[in-house]
Amino acid sequence: MMDMSGQWRALAVAAMLAVSAGAASAKDVTITVWAGGTGPTDAYRLDAIEIAAGLLTREAALQGEALTIKVEKRAYPGWDDFKQALTLSAEAGTAPDIVASGHEDIAPWAQSGLIVPIESYIDLDSWPINDIYPNLMQIASYGGVLYGLPQDAESRPFFFWRPHLKAIGYSDAEIDALPAKVKAGAYTLANVLDDARKMQDKGVVKPGYGFYPRPLNGPDYWQFYRSFGGEMDDPKLGKLVFDKAAMGRFYKFFVDAVAAGVTRKNHIGTPFDQWYTEVATGKAGIWQGGTWHYARYTGQEGLKDFFGTVQFSLVPAGDKAGKPNTLTHPIVYLLTKHNDKAKMEIAAKLIEIASEPRINALHAIRSAHLAIAKQESNIPLYSNDRWTREATARLLPFANAMPNNPNFGVYWNVMWKGLESAWTGQKTVEEAIADDETELRSSLGDKIVIR
Amino acid sequence: MTSNFRAWPVVLALSIVSAPLVLMYVYLLVDTVTSTAPGSLIPYEFTLRHWTFLWTPVPGRPDIWRVALNTLVFATASSAIVLSLSSTAGYVLSRLNVPFRRFFLAGVMVLHAFPSVTLIVAIFLVLQMVGLYNSLAGVILVKAALDMPLGIWIMKGFYDTVPWEIEMAGIQDGASRFTVWRRLVLPQVRPALLALGLFAFLSGWSEFILPQVLAPDNRVQVLSVYLAGLIADDNNFDMALFKSVGVFYVVPVILLFLFFQKHLMNIYGGGTKG
Amino acid sequence: MNSSKKLGLLLITPAAIVVVMLFLVPVVLTAVFAFTNMSTSTGISGGAYQISPNALQELRDHYDMPSVAERLSQSGFAVDEPGLAALGKAGIDADIVTELRGHIGETFAARRDAERAIRNLNHRPSLREVKQISDQFNRSIMNARYDSKAALLAAVASVMPNLSGAEHQAIIAASYTGWTWTTGNFRRMASIPGTQRSLVNTMVYVAFTLTLFNIGFAMVLAITTFYMPSRAAGFFRGVWLLPRISPPVIYVLLWKWLAWDTGFLSVFLGRFGIHSRNWMLDSGTNAWVFVVLINGFVGASMGMLIFSSALQAIPRPLLYASEVDGASRWQQIWHIIMPQLRWPILFVTCYQTLSLLTSFDLILLSTNGGPGGSTEVWALATYHTALNNYAGNLEYGYGAAMALVLVVVGVFLSLAYLRLFNYRDLVAKPLIEH
Repeated sequence: MMDMSGQWRALAVAAMLAVSAGAASAKDVTITVWAGGTGPTDAYRLDAIEIAAGLLTREAALQGEALTIKVEKRAYPGWDDFKQALTLSAEAGTAPDIVASGHEDIAPWAQSGLIVPIESYIDLDSWPINDIYPNLMQIASYGGVLYGLPQDAESRPFFFWRPHLKAIGYSDAEIDALPAKVKAGAYTLANVLDDARKMQDKGVVKPGYGFYPRPLNGPDYWQFYRSFGGEMDDPKLGKLVFDKAAMGRFYKFFVDAVAAGVTRKNHIGTPFDQWYTEVATGKAGIWQGGTWHYARYTGQEGLKDFFGTVQFSLVPAGDKAGKPNTLTHPIVYLLTKHNDKAKMEIAAKLIEIASEPRINALHAIRSAHLAIAKQESNIPLYSNDRWTREATARLLPFANAMPNNPNFGVYWNVMWKGLESAWTGQKTVEEAIADDETELRSSLGDKIVIR
Repeated sequence: MTSNFRAWPVVLALSIVSAPLVLMYVYLLVDTVTSTAPGSLIPYEFTLRHWTFLWTPVPGRPDIWRVALNTLVFATASSAIVLSLSSTAGYVLSRLNVPFRRFFLAGVMVLHAFPSVTLIVAIFLVLQMVGLYNSLAGVILVKAALDMPLGIWIMKGFYDTVPWEIEMAGIQDGASRFTVWRRLVLPQVRPALLALGLFAFLSGWSEFILPQVLAPDNRVQVLSVYLAGLIADDNNFDMALFKSVGVFYVVPVILLFLFFQKHLMNIYGGGTKG
Repeated sequence: MNSSKKLGLLLITPAAIVVVMLFLVPVVLTAVFAFTNMSTSTGISGGAYQISPNALQELRDHYDMPSVAERLSQSGFAVDEPGLAALGKAGIDADIVTELRGHIGETFAARRDAERAIRNLNHRPSLREVKQISDQFNRSIMNARYDSKAALLAAVASVMPNLSGAEHQAIIAASYTGWTWTTGNFRRMASIPGTQRSLVNTMVYVAFTLTLFNIGFAMVLAITTFYMPSRAAGFFRGVWLLPRISPPVIYVLLWKWLAWDTGFLSVFLGRFGIHSRNWMLDSGTNAWVFVVLINGFVGASMGMLIFSSALQAIPRPLLYASEVDGASRWQQIWHIIMPQLRWPILFVTCYQTLSLLTSFDLILLSTNGGPGGSTEVWALATYHTALNNYAGNLEYGYGAAMALVLVVVGVFLSLAYLRLFNYRDLVAKPLIEH
C-alpha cells in the first residue's frame, strides 16, 4: 500500500511547481467563440480564430511571453436558437468572448451593453484592418463607432436554370445577356412570373416550381421591398421607414406568384435541405438564393457544371419605382463585454488576425462567400475562383445592407408576419399592410416613419 | 366480458383506427436498420449504418453517450427530488396540522394545473441570479419544482387512503410522528412512490423546452435537445439518422413502460383524480 | 408549538422552498416584467447611460432639444492641459507626455486621426498606450457609456456646462439604456391584430382537441376496450399510451415523417397519382388537422384511463341484467355506461382545458405556428415573442405581459375547479391533533 503522506508531498510539490511556472509570464487563455447560421461549409468562421490563435502564440513567444490560447468553438446552424442562447448567456454573464453574427445585431447588442466597440481595442490603421472595404466597415459600425470587423460578404441573387430557359425559347446568347438586361431594368419581376409560368406550361418544372424563393424568413425578402422602391430607413433622420405602397406591391408580387401557380401557397416552411436538393437538380426554374449556396450546390448537392446550367443576376426591379438590387448581409466578428480586459485584448487581436486576407480567403472559397478586403483579390486562391470573381463583379456594386438600428428586429418580424399571412392567403394584401401598420404604430411609435 | 356481445367488431374497428399509430412506430423501428429508395415504402436492404452515430459523433455535435448520460442524470435527479420532497410534503398536507395548511393545499392545487412553461423568462432570471443558468443542476431543480405540485398532490391522495388506525396504533405505542411516518406509513404507499418516481423520471427524460432554453450548452445537452438540434439543422437531412437517434432515445422509455405498466397506469389515470 | 406542527414544518420546508423559488417567485416576476419594456436592447439586469444615436433621436423627438442633441453628437479630440494632467495620473511614460505637450492645442475630428498622430510620436507608444492617451483627449461624449447618472452628468457638463435641471433630467431619461416601467404592453396587446388571432387560434385548438380527442375519442377507446377480452384491451391501451410516453421530439418526428413532401403520405398517395406535398403545412386547415391529431393522440390516453377505471366500477350484474332484458349495445352504453362517466368527463374537461391552454411544445416542434401564423396559439406566440424569433429580438416585457394573461386565466380556472370538486372535503382536518 502506498504511503499516504508521500503522496501528499508529491502533490504539494507538483502544485508549487505549477504555481511558480505560472508566475514566469506563462499565460493560459481560453477564448470561446460562437457563430450563428453556420453550417459545415462555414467552418472557417470559427477555425479562422483558431488559426489566429496559433499565430498570436508565435508572436507572443517572440516577445518572450509564453502564451497558450485554447479556442472553444460552437457553431449554431440556425439563428433563432443561436440568438436565444447568446442573449440569455450574456445576461447570465457567461457570453462567449467572440461572436460571429449578422451585422443587424450590432445596434441592439450595443445598446444593451452585450458588445463593446472593437475600435477601442485595435488600431484602425494597421494591417489588415486598413485594407477592409470601407462600405463593409460602415456596415459594421453603429453611430459612427466601429463595433465589429466584417467576417464575410455575400449577396442574395436570382438564379435561372439555363436548360429550362432554353426550353421556353431563350437562345444561349439571350441567356448570357440576361444579367445585363436585369441590371438595366428591362427584365422585371413581372417577366420572372411570365417565364416561370411558361416553364410550367412547357412541363419542364412541376406546378409551384417556376419561381422558388428562399423557403424561410431571411434578409433576402427586403430585396423585394427595395425592388418595388421601398426604403428600410432614412439615414438622415436615423429612423426606420415603412413604405406602405412599396410593401404592398412587394406582398402582392408573392400573392400574384401564388395566384399564377408558379410559387406554392405553402412554400414557406419547406425544409431547407429539400429546397437545396431541388434547386441544384433543376426541379425549379427560377429561384432566389445566396451567393454562398454555390458551395452547397456544387459540393454536397453534386451539381457538376454550375456555369453551364445556372445563370445568376441581381434581383430584378419590381416596377418603375424600384431598381434592380441585391442585399449583402455580412457576418461580423463582435467582441463581447467581460470584466477581464486583458482577455478582451487577446480576443480583439484574434479577430484582427483572423481578418488577414489569406485566412479570410479560406473561408471565402470554402463557403463561396465574397471577400472582405481589397488585397484578397491578389490571393490566387481567391482570384482564380470563377464564382467569387463573377459574383463580386456582377452583384456587390449594387448591394445594400439592412440598417443598424435597435428597433429593426421588431420591424423585420412584422414585415415577415405580414408577408407570410398574405402569401398563405390568411389575409389580403390590404389587410396585411393595415395590420402591419397598426402593429408598428403600437410597438415602435414615432421611431418609424410610416408613409 | 359481457357474454352475448361479440368482441371482434370492436377489435376490428379499433384496429383500423389504431393502424396509423402502429404504422408510425413500426416504421420507426424498421427504418433504422434498413435502407429505402426515395419514393418507395419497402426497404431494399438491411444495414446498420444509420447507427454509426453510436461510435462516431455526428460532426459538430457532442458525443451521444455524453448526452445520454446527461439525460440520465437529469431524469434521475429530478425524479429523486420530486420523490423525496413530495413524499414528505404530501404527508404533511395529508396528516399533520401545520399553520396555513389549507393555503398550502390550495396553492398546490392551483400550481398543479398551472401554465408553468409560460414562466420561463422569469425562471431564467431566478436561475441566473443563483448562478445556475446553463447548468444541469439548474434545469434539474426547475424541472423538479414544476413537477412537484403534481407529485405532492398525488402523494397526498395516497396518504389519504392509509387508514388512520395504523398511525393511531403507532402513536399509542409511544413512537414519534416521524418514526410513525417513516416506519409505518411510508411502506403503505410504496406503490405510489414507485409510480411517482417512474412518472417523474419519464417526464424528465422527455422534457424538451426547459433544457433547450435553460441549458443549451453542448456540455449539458440532453437527448431531446440533441435530437431537435439535429432535425432543425438543414445541412444534414437524414430521416434514418433522426429515427435511429430517436429509437436510441425512446427505447429506455418503452422498456420501463413495459415493465412497470401497471404502476404507471395508476398515475397517468387514477393518480390525477381531483 | 406541538410536535406535529414542528415535524410538519420541517418536512414541508424543502418542498416549499423549491416551489416558492422556482414557481411562485417566477409568477411574481412575470407579473412585474409585464409592466416593463424589457427586451434584447434594454437587457434584463439593468442599464447604463449612453449618448447613442437612439438617445439623440429621443432628445429631438420627445424633449424638443435638437440643439442639445446636435452639440452632444459632435465628436472631437483635443490635446489640452487637463488631458495631459490626466495622462500623468494614468501612468503614461513621462517622455511621451512631454512630447505630447509640444502638440498642445491640436484637435482631431475622428479617433482614427487622433490615434494616428499619437502613434507617430517619436516614443512609439504601444497600442494599449495609444488607446489610453486618445481616451484622455476625447472631448466628445457621443457613444461613451456611463454606469451612473452622476458620471453621465459630469461628462455632459464638460461639453455643455449651462444646462437646466429639466434638461439634465431629459438627457438622463433619453440616454438610459435599461428597461423602464410601462403599461404600454397591454395597450399594444389590445390594439394589434395578432392578439385576436392568437386568441381565436387558442380557442380552436382547445375546443377541437378537447371535444374530439381528449373526451370524444378517449370515450371511444374506453368503451371499446371495455367490450374486449382483457388481453386485447391491454394491447390497445398500451398502443394508445405510446404517444403519451414517447418524448415529444421523437413523437413529432414520426408525424413529420408521415406528412412531409417526401414522407409516407406523399409516397403512398403518389401511387394514386396525387401530387406529393407537405401535408402538414399545405394549408391552414391541414395544419390544424395535424395539430389536433398530434395533440389529440397524446391527450386521448388520459381520458381513456380515467374513463376505463370509472367503467370498472359498474356492477357486473347490472350489465348482465340489461342484456337479459334484451338491451342492445347502444342502449347499454347510453343508459348504463354514460351516466357513470359524467363526473370523469367533467374532470378531464377541466384538467385538460388548462393543460391545453398552456402547452405548446408539440405545436412548436410540428408546425411552429405556421403556415402564415395560422396555428400560432397564445402560449406559442408568447414563447416566440419573449424567447425565440428569427430576428433575435427577444421582447421579455411584452412576452411576460402575454404570459400574465395565461397566468391569470390559469389561476381563475383552477380556483373555479376547486369549488367544483369540493375543495372542503379534500382538506378535512387531520384526526390526530398533536
